[in-house]
Amino acid sequence: MRARVTRRELLKRAGAVAGGAVAAGLAPARVRAQAATRIVFWHSMGGNLGETVVRAFVNRFNASRSDIRVEAQYQGSYDDAINKLRASIQSSAVPAIAQVYDIGTRFMIDSKGVVPVQEFIDRDKFDLGVLEPNILAYYRVGGRLYSMPFNTSTAILYYNKDMFKKAGLNPEQPPRTFEEIEEYATRLTQSGVTRSGIALAIYGWFFEQLLARQGALYANHGNGRDAPATAVVFHEEEAGVRILEWWARMVKAGVATNPGRATAASQRAFAAGQTAMTADSTAVLASLLRGAGGKFAVGTGYFPKPPAAANGGSIVGGASVWILKGRPPAEQQAAWEFAKFITAPAQQAAWYVGTGYFPIRKDAYREPVARETLAKSPQFLTAISELRSSPINRATQGALLGVFPEARQKVEEAIEATVLGRKTPKQALDDAARDINQAIAVYNRTMGVS
Amino acid sequence: MSGGRPVGPARDVPRARVRAQADLRALAQAGAYLLPSLVVFCVFVFYPLVRNLELSLYETTPFGGLGLFTGAGNYAQLLGSPAFLNSLRVTFLFALYTVPAGIALGLPLALLANRRIRGIVVYRTAYSFTIAVSIAAAALIWHWLLDPNVGILDYLLTLVHLPKVGWLTDPRWALPAVAATTVWKDLGFNVVVLLAALQGVPDELVEAARIDGAGQWGVFRSVVVPAISPALFFVGVVSTIGVVQSFGQIHILTQGGPLDSTNVIVYSIYRNAFFNFRFGLAAAQAMILFVLVLVLTGLQFAVFERWVTYQ
Repeated sequence: MRARVTRRELLKRAGAVAGGAVAAGLAPARVRAQAATRIVFWHSMGGNLGETVVRAFVNRFNASRSDIRVEAQYQGSYDDAINKLRASIQSSAVPAIAQVYDIGTRFMIDSKGVVPVQEFIDRDKFDLGVLEPNILAYYRVGGRLYSMPFNTSTAILYYNKDMFKKAGLNPEQPPRTFEEIEEYATRLTQSGVTRSGIALAIYGWFFEQLLARQGALYANHGNGRDAPATAVVFHEEEAGVRILEWWARMVKAGVATNPGRATAASQRAFAAGQTAMTADSTAVLASLLRGAGGKFAVGTGYFPKPPAAANGGSIVGGASVWILKGRPPAEQQAAWEFAKFITAPAQQAAWYVGTGYFPIRKDAYREPVARETLAKSPQFLTAISELRSSPINRATQGALLGVFPEARQKVEEAIEATVLGRKTPKQALDDAARDINQAIAVYNRTMGVS
Repeated sequence: MSGGRPVGPARDVPRARVRAQADLRALAQAGAYLLPSLVVFCVFVFYPLVRNLELSLYETTPFGGLGLFTGAGNYAQLLGSPAFLNSLRVTFLFALYTVPAGIALGLPLALLANRRIRGIVVYRTAYSFTIAVSIAAAALIWHWLLDPNVGILDYLLTLVHLPKVGWLTDPRWALPAVAATTVWKDLGFNVVVLLAALQGVPDELVEAARIDGAGQWGVFRSVVVPAISPALFFVGVVSTIGVVQSFGQIHILTQGGPLDSTNVIVYSIYRNAFFNFRFGLAAAQAMILFVLVLVLTGLQFAVFERWVTYQ
């Protein structure tokens, strides 16, 4: 327990030491005038693939420039990375550029420790017209782009085409609505093809997506985009309750399985042929295709959406890169050069086919590697088509919330309580909303946000 | 373990002044030896402890700065919160599931490992190897074993036509499952400590008991157990303190869920401090945990130490 007590202190100290080390490492570079500007890049792309691809980007960039040296440092999960930033952001012990997940956007802006990339965009006359409009809509706050989107995704439905065939379902027609998913899952389990029609990990992001697919808001003040949010509203309308009712009903009927909170478990179940359908980010497409390894055909479909919800659509997920104020201007400029490089068509296309994250820009699809992959595996088009078919409005832009990580966790508790039959959907969402609103109040008060 | 006893009663009593001088010198000498560890403790334990106490009296900013002074506000909020009381309950249950089981399984293994047979080193290594496994690796192994779709445990259940159990997703089973992981992981340590103690049991004592007509069980109960009682007590205290601080396996296996059924205090501190960024609240939780461990350890000394035989 003492370790807990001292952890924050240790973290601070470790941050200071690391910062000192970085500064010490940099000093000679600066003395050697005009030598390359060294910058540190924090990222959360773990796993074999993520690290390999990121390292390849860095090596290629370093080889292409004599004036900048980038050092990539893996910082653990998105949560871990933003924690480390939080501990250091108001000092100079920060990296020049850092990858932060979508839901960290509001906090990063409020931290006042960043340089909006808009400043570099304006100076460079960088053409934002090549970017996907829905992605810009998510990351633009108050008309300005604060960070450069890097890896973008949406949630999609994965299904086992072989099982669909065996159950007499059309393998080329994935279910499109809540009702259809339920029907298909029932048919798949009752026909004895599988014991799990769909494996749905308890992941708050799915709830956010399903809410937006119905055109409903997560937080007040236009999802926190007209003014900082002061409360969540997902529990006030029918849309939120509908999601949980549907989810719990399927689990109760035994047609859906609950693999817990980790999507890793539902991915394993799907790849092992233990479930006919699963929901997940398009970012795991390449790994699921490899996991299925020709044992069965993997189908992909849009996330469910009620037929009547004309203004519903998907929210962009993933992460963007932020340039930090704590480093000297030369490093900030170098960071921007690196940001431009990793979001250039060649890199975005390589990233796309290696993972499943779709490119942030439309011209990346013209790259040969993207074309080849699309010809072979059309599943790579599902998520981006889903996004492009989404209207841009406050619901699909997604919420901005300083306490979003905590909010997501509270919603996961609500889903869990409903799925396990401990609370009614309404009760669970009300309880979550109460806790989140309290957290928002503390955040706004201590951060001086109003 | 014999710190409180007078060491070596002096036979020839020197004069008071000489004695006082000698005492002073001894004290200075002891101080010099203790200094390095004192410095480390002060810097890394006592100073942070004091700062933590201070932090617990404030509503903190998300950067960890002191915001509003709220006095006992954080403590009041915690003690009135069902979630925190649940964490306390879960922590107690977790200790209850793991500590006795760890000793109950560790002792027979240590006894087996204490036999004088060919190739005993192999068995000793096998019984104690979990000491070399990191908790993260152990948790990942168990995550596979416990997986309802691809795990061996549920596969065995289906072989005997029992329904599958969502070990980590069913609130009834999650805590026992995490406890099983912990017992497995800590077993190696328990075996090593108990085996070392068993090897220290004097052969004369055992032989004397045999000559007096004691059977296997009699020797074990009346000679071996008292002889290794300091080690048993040590394992009990140390595993309780360790288990109450468990974090890795919970983070990897359940993240405190489902429905907070594995949300032990340490995990809840982590969530509040490094996820929700309410450092003040987390600091208050840490203080409560500190007091709790202190009381628990005190209780163990008060209740169980009387059965301990120091040689």
